[in-house]
Amino acid sequence: MALVLFVSAQVLAQQGSNLYDLPSPYERYTHYLATARVTAAVPIGAFADNYIDRSSAQNYSLSLEWILRSNLSVGGEVGKNFFQQRLPRQMYQLGEQEVSAVQTRTLTQYPIQGFVNYHFAGSGAMVRPYVHLSAGGSFVDYTLYWGNLADQQQKFAFTYGVGAGTKVLFKRDGSVGMDLRVKYTQTPYNYDYITSGISALNGSIGLFYRWW
Amino acid sequence: MTFKTSFLAILLGASLLAACNNDPLSDLSVEESQVFITNRNKTADFNQYKTFSIVDSVIVLGNRGTGTSLSDVDMQVLNRVVANMQQLGYRYVNPKDSPDLGINVAQIRNSYLNVVSQPMSPYLGNYWGGGFYGGGLGGWGYGYPSYYTYYQVNENYWYLEMVDFKNPDRANQKLNVVWSAEIRGAGLFDVQQVSNVIDSVFKQSAYLGSN
Repeated sequence: MALVLFVSAQVLAQQGSNLYDLPSPYERYTHYLATARVTAAVPIGAFADNYIDRSSAQNYSLSLEWILRSNLSVGGEVGKNFFQQRLPRQMYQLGEQEVSAVQTRTLTQYPIQGFVNYHFAGSGAMVRPYVHLSAGGSFVDYTLYWGNLADQQQKFAFTYGVGAGTKVLFKRDGSVGMDLRVKYTQTPYNYDYITSGISALNGSIGLFYRWW
Repeated sequence: MTFKTSFLAILLGASLLAACNNDPLSDLSVEESQVFITNRNKTADFNQYKTFSIVDSVIVLGNRGTGTSLSDVDMQVLNRVVANMQQLGYRYVNPKDSPDLGINVAQIRNSYLNVVSQPMSPYLGNYWGGGFYGGGLGGWGYGYPSYYTYYQVNENYWYLEMVDFKNPDRANQKLNVVWSAEIRGAGLFDVQQVSNVIDSVFKQSAYLGSN
């Protein structure tokens, strides 16, 4: 009797450990992952020097990606970036004219991009660092207010970015987690004060949900 | 999804929606809205002029008809221009006493009627978008009968110019404008503000003055 009990206990223990070692469905199958991000953006380069150098926290994006069974994932991301800066009253020389005005400089961007992520850990890992490459188009709205008079230009422009980030699960094999990402973005767009594109360094914090 | 994550997702979604409406000028003060534009003939030597005169009432120009106006604000503007010119060293004389400079003061009043053809994009006025269809990004539009909406834009601003009577272009029978100023923005027809508004265009034209 004692022997039977001992053997069955051993069998149960073995079964238990097998269940525990079984890969989660997220590791076994290609699955989906949606992320909502809030981004702080710092303008850099000529964009910062000539137009807006004030950082912006009013940037948001939504992305959807397919986590492949390899270390890759591919997806799409839509977002909105908004930069604004008010300059105190000063004198501007516009051709022959001298203009005294308070400038409110704004730039709004609605990027629509496709992206590829390469991850440095398997999809079962709690922490999953990755590098990120994106390219797509961006609807750009340049509005420069002189006092309350606006000079506006809107254009659809090419946009691309490179970045690195990490996904952190809230619990093992869970479906919810946090996404941290740093990304450099560039949109070749020239108009008025913007002479060599819109460049920014973006730091984002996001919340993701994955399912299969 | 747990309650906590759903709550966070909703919070994110809501801030996303709120972010769709930026009004960069919401905190712009009346003074900050004002734009002063001056222009001059670069070859003119403003020191050569000694006397000036000014129109007896404000000229009204624009697509709503032309005429003259002499309201309290108009009178204040004319007096302020005279005061500024005197401070710069020019002597005020009667128009009949052949002044070196003549000053025109005008109000430009234009109205534009614009037509918008419906439908308006729900993304422009997304007030209903959020609550009605959950995330707000869902593709709900409005059903419209086909009609048009009209809206009117009015603009009203000051225009000043200085005419050179001293050196008329006799060959072409022309009087040259040697200086002009355009003042745009809010609060331009407010009795409290208008003196500062007029002072501003003289202050930014440091080349003016007679000694």
